[in-house]
Amino acid sequence: MTPQIEFSGVNKYYGAYHALKNVELSIKKGSFTALVGPSGCGKSTLLRSLAGLESISSGTLKIAGDVMNKVPPRKRDVAMVFQSYALYPHMTVEENLTYSLRIRGTPKAEARKAAEEVAATTGLSHLLGRYPRELSGGQRQRVAMSRAIIRHPKAFLFDEPLSNLDAALRVHMRKEIRALHDRLGATSVYVTHDQIEAMTMADHVVVMRAGVIEQQGRPLDLYDRPVNKFVAGFIGSPAMNFLPAVGSEDGRSLVVDVGAPQTVPISTNVEPGRKVIAGIRPEHISVVAADSGLMRVAVSVVESTGSMSYITTATRPELAIVETGRTDVSAGDLIGLSFAPQSVHVFDAGTEERIG
Amino acid sequence: MSDTYREKLMLAIALVLAAIYLFPLYWMYITALKSGSAMFATPPAFWPTDPQWQIYGQVWESRNMGRYIWNSVVIALGAVTVITVLGVGCAYVLARYRNVWVDIGLFLILMLQVLPASLMITPIFVGFSQVGLLEYPRLAVILAIAAKSMPFFVVLVRATFMSVPQELEEAALVDGNSRIGAFFSIVLPLARNGILVSAILIFMQAFGEFVYSKSIIQAIELQPASVGLNSFMGPNTNEWNNIMAYATIYVTPILAIFVLLQRRIVSGLTSGALK
Ligand SMILES: Nc1ncnc2c1ncn2[C@@H]1O[C@H](COP(=O)(O)OP(=O)(O)OP(=O)(O)O)[C@@H](O)[C@H]1O
Ligand SMILES: [Mg+2]
Repeated sequence: MTPQIEFSGVNKYYGAYHALKNVELSIKKGSFTALVGPSGCGKSTLLRSLAGLESISSGTLKIAGDVMNKVPPRKRDVAMVFQSYALYPHMTVEENLTYSLRIRGTPKAEARKAAEEVAATTGLSHLLGRYPRELSGGQRQRVAMSRAIIRHPKAFLFDEPLSNLDAALRVHMRKEIRALHDRLGATSVYVTHDQIEAMTMADHVVVMRAGVIEQQGRPLDLYDRPVNKFVAGFIGSPAMNFLPAVGSEDGRSLVVDVGAPQTVPISTNVEPGRKVIAGIRPEHISVVAADSGLMRVAVSVVESTGSMSYITTATRPELAIVETGRTDVSAGDLIGLSFAPQSVHVFDAGTEERIG
Repeated sequence: MSDTYREKLMLAIALVLAAIYLFPLYWMYITALKSGSAMFATPPAFWPTDPQWQIYGQVWESRNMGRYIWNSVVIALGAVTVITVLGVGCAYVLARYRNVWVDIGLFLILMLQVLPASLMITPIFVGFSQVGLLEYPRLAVILAIAAKSMPFFVVLVRATFMSVPQELEEAALVDGNSRIGAFFSIVLPLARNGILVSAILIFMQAFGEFVYSKSIIQAIELQPASVGLNSFMGPNTNEWNNIMAYATIYVTPILAIFVLLQRRIVSGLTSGALK
């Protein structure tokens, strides 16, 4: 099956600035793809190139099998939800929703009916006569979504659509957008800098840095096998702990340096003496009695939310540990740490690429 | 110094300044209503004791003011039309594209604004006479005023366009509209107020324009009211009340427009300027 969206060898320059570097990305019909990465990494640029709002400098972009490089936005048949929502301020909600239909010459009555149907599914029925300035942030967000779904485009593009909402509404809308996507059988590309949004909503996560796709795949694959230190640190919350380490004599363990050298077993082979970085997720470390476990460390801070306890150690570098439930550890205690050899990720100290 | 005291002082200063500034206007209105002898009385009366209302009708008839005002309106409307049609597109491009050439263009436009009309009139006159435009003197004046006032309009309207978020236009493009369609259905309606206000300011400028009209239009029946007023004032004039009545008839409509629309004009100017 031809992919619904396909970037091959796409580069984008802004003058001398190389904003997208050799992007290879293929998006299946009906999938939900999230683009994540730190600010300025090129997520919006990628999305805007897809919509036709930016032209690509080289490579090919296909939508539903057709080359789109030179096709203007209006002929690409995609719908976009902007971060600022970009609602037309001089039009009512209904006029906003039907704008795209009216341009295509849909008869008035038909457009009106479509608006009413969409409004019913997004809970906007009673607001159709209002102007955008008379709506709350959450309602505006819904109008922006409704405006996108009123026609049946080849793809939905979202550029950080939830970043202006409060935390509770954001969690709620996350589910709603995903449910909408499933119900419409749509193909969605969703830009966010929030990796939790990406992990929870998407089938396919694309991690970008400085214009380069660092890794893409299913959310849990990225979590389980990050290809480099950047992805490892970006995916997962709280972030993975990184410790400088060297391969030990037997080749199956590392000597990590957390103030005092400690030997920890790993599940991959590392040449003796090779400088590496050991990564371990806070939720994979468990606290045990001080005289057992793989490491012995002092506690510097304990924070508890009731359901979770966050422990920070007094080592250098600090280690973060997450325990579910409550903990009887308190600041100043000496504790032991234990973790499975498979949960240690090893990266080369120079290239920061994954080993094993 | 307490705050209320300070406010009162500021208000007083403002009133004094406004009074100084508006005094000529006030003097124009009352002089028009004075009889010939009251006009030259010492000390002058600050309020006409015997207002001569019939003077307006007399001046209107004797100076043939209807024709002059009509010419002023034709010239002002013509200039506003030319400027709006050409200037809106220009302002839009200057608002949306940023590069060195646009900056240079903007700089040149602002330079034009600096040149005084009395300096420009000679080359304009020579140029127009060579292409035969002086055969149509009102059209020639319209073009000259348009050239003179265009920069002002473009700079104001550009600021208005810049306050319309680009994302709205992009949303319209993705929604299926063309560049031109998005301009007419999204950008123009949102910039309408700013454009209207700028056009009104241009109209008022053009309505009172003197230098170009005086130099280019020789035929009395084509001259605007500003030139008519000037020819009313000979070297030995003593009919100041008639002249002031003429001036009153001429400026009162513009003042009325300004007062009626002043809130919109001021907000239009600043809302464009702030962004
Ligand atoms: N029109 C432009 N001209 C020049 N450089 C640009 C332009 N638009 C974006 N850039 C640059 O391209 C890079 C990528 O920008 P982009 O907007 O895609 O980032 P982003 O990943 O969406 O970031 P954010 O999360 O902050 O929205 C940035 O370094 C930005 O400065
Ligand atoms: Mg962005």
